[in-house]
Amino acid sequence: MIETHHLSKLYSRGLHALRDLTITVAKGEFVFLTGPSGAGKSTFLRLLLLQERPSEGDIVVNGHDLSKLSRREIQEYRRGIGFVFQDFKLIPNRTVLQNISFVPEVLGVPVAQQRRKAFQVLKWVGLQHRMSAYPHDLSGGEQQRVAIARAVASEPVLLLADEPTGNLDPDLSLEIMNLLREINSGGTTVLVATHDRELIRLVGRRTITLDQGRVVEVA
Amino acid sequence: MRALDYALREGWASLWRSRGSGAFAILAITLAMIALGILLLVTWNVERLLAEWSSAAEFSVFLRDDASSEQRGEIEATIDRSGVMEQRQYVSKGEALARFRREFTELASLAEGFEDNPFPASLEVRVRPEAEADGRAIALVQRVAALPGVADVRYDREWLARLSSGLAAVRGAGLALSLVLALAAAVTVASVVRLGLNARRDELEIMQLVGSPIAFIRGPFVAEGVLQGGCGALMALGALWLGFAAVNLWWGAGLAMMLEDRSLQFLPVQLSTALVAGGMVVGGAGGFAASRHAV
Repeated sequence: MIETHHLSKLYSRGLHALRDLTITVAKGEFVFLTGPSGAGKSTFLRLLLLQERPSEGDIVVNGHDLSKLSRREIQEYRRGIGFVFQDFKLIPNRTVLQNISFVPEVLGVPVAQQRRKAFQVLKWVGLQHRMSAYPHDLSGGEQQRVAIARAVASEPVLLLADEPTGNLDPDLSLEIMNLLREINSGGTTVLVATHDRELIRLVGRRTITLDQGRVVEVA
Repeated sequence: MRALDYALREGWASLWRSRGSGAFAILAITLAMIALGILLLVTWNVERLLAEWSSAAEFSVFLRDDASSEQRGEIEATIDRSGVMEQRQYVSKGEALARFRREFTELASLAEGFEDNPFPASLEVRVRPEAEADGRAIALVQRVAALPGVADVRYDREWLARLSSGLAAVRGAGLALSLVLALAAAVTVASVVRLGLNARRDELEIMQLVGSPIAFIRGPFVAEGVLQGGCGALMALGALWLGFAAVNLWWGAGLAMMLEDRSLQFLPVQLSTALVAGGMVVGGAGGFAASRHAV
C-alpha cells in the first residue's frame, strides 16, 4: 500500500525532517509510526497527504507515484485517504451530522446518500444521539470519534492518524484505538503516528520507530 | 450542477454570516452601478431622441420675395423628383407672419412697424429617414440652394452632429468613471470575501485534504461575490428608478416642453437586466479574485 524509497525532507533552514527513509506498509496492515517529538512522524504523514513534497526520494501509495500526480490526480488520490488529527479539525459552525456529511457533500454525493452514510458511521461510533450537537458541545473523546466517523464516511483505502489520542485520557485512547482496529479489520490500511508507547504495547501491531528523521527500529 | 447548488447555498450562507462587512461591498457595487446606470439612462435617452429627431428631419427652402411662380414650380419639381421628400408644404409670407405671432407671442411686437411683411415664403420639406441617412438629403439641399428664386436653405443638422459627438464624449468619460468605480467595487468585494475565506481556513483545509473538486472549494466565494453584485445592482436599479421618478415629478413638464413634447423614459428591460448582470459580473470577478487564495 505504501512504499517509500530513500525519502528525505529538508527544510529551508537546513533542518532534515526525514533522512533516507525506505518503508513498506502492506495493504490491509495496521502500523504504528512512533518516535519522540521532532522525529519526523507528522512530516511523513504530510508527505503522504501531499501537503508537502519530498526533497528527495519517491513515495508510491496504492500504485500512485506521488511525484507524478497532476493537480486533478492529487484530488482523486486524496479521495481514497481518510485522516484523523490530534486537534480533530471539525468545522465549528456545523453540527456533528453536517461535519460527517461534509466530505461526501464536497465530493458531490447526492444529499440522501450523504445523510444515510453519515448516520450509518455516526451510529457505528456510537454518537447518533449527538448528531445535532455542535463540536464545542462534545468532549474530546466524542470529537475524535466524530473525526473518525468523518474519515471513514468516504470509505478510504488508507487511513492516516496523526496523534489521534494526543488529547485524550488512557481509557478514551484505547476506545479510539479499538475503532481504528475495527476500521482496519474491514480491509482499510491504517497508519497511526503516536508517541504513546503504552498504547502501542496494548494494541500490539507492527511499529516503525523514527528518530531525527531516520528509521531506527522496525518491530 | 451539484457544485453550483453547493456554491449558491454556501455563498448565500456566507453572505448572511458576514452581512456587516458584506453591506460595504454591496454599497460599493450599488454606487458603481448607479454611476453606470445614470450614464446608461442619459445616453440611452439622448440616443433615442436623436434617432427620433433624425428620422423627423426637415429642411426649409426660403424663397426670394421676387421669386416668380415658374421659379417656385421648378424648385418644387426638383424636390418632388428627388425621391428624398416624404411631405412638402408651402408656407406663404402671410402664414409665416401669423405663425410667428402665434408661436412667439411675447416677441410678436418685433414684427410690428415694418412697411412690408419681413417674413419670406418658404417650402418646408419633411425628409425620408433613409435619405437623411444615406446623404441624398444633403445633396438635394445643395442642389436646391443653387436654383434661381431661392434666398436660403436651412437644413441645420450640425447641432445634431454636435450633440452626437458630445454624447460620445459623455459616454467615454462616464464609462471611464464607471470602470474605475466597478474596479473599486470588485476590490471591495474581493476584500470582504477574503475576510470570510480566512474565517473558513479549517473548512478549506479539510476540503483540500479530502480531495474536494476545485469548483466546490472556490465556487462558494465566486457565488458570494455574484450575490453581492446582484444585490448591489438591484439596489442601484431601485435608486435609479426613484431618482428618475423624482426628476419626472419635479421637472417633467419643463423637460417635455424643451424636448418638443417628447418625454424621458426609464431604462428598458434589456438594459436594466444588463445592469444587474453587470453588477453580478463585477461581484463575481471580486469573488473569483478572492477565491484564488482558497487553494
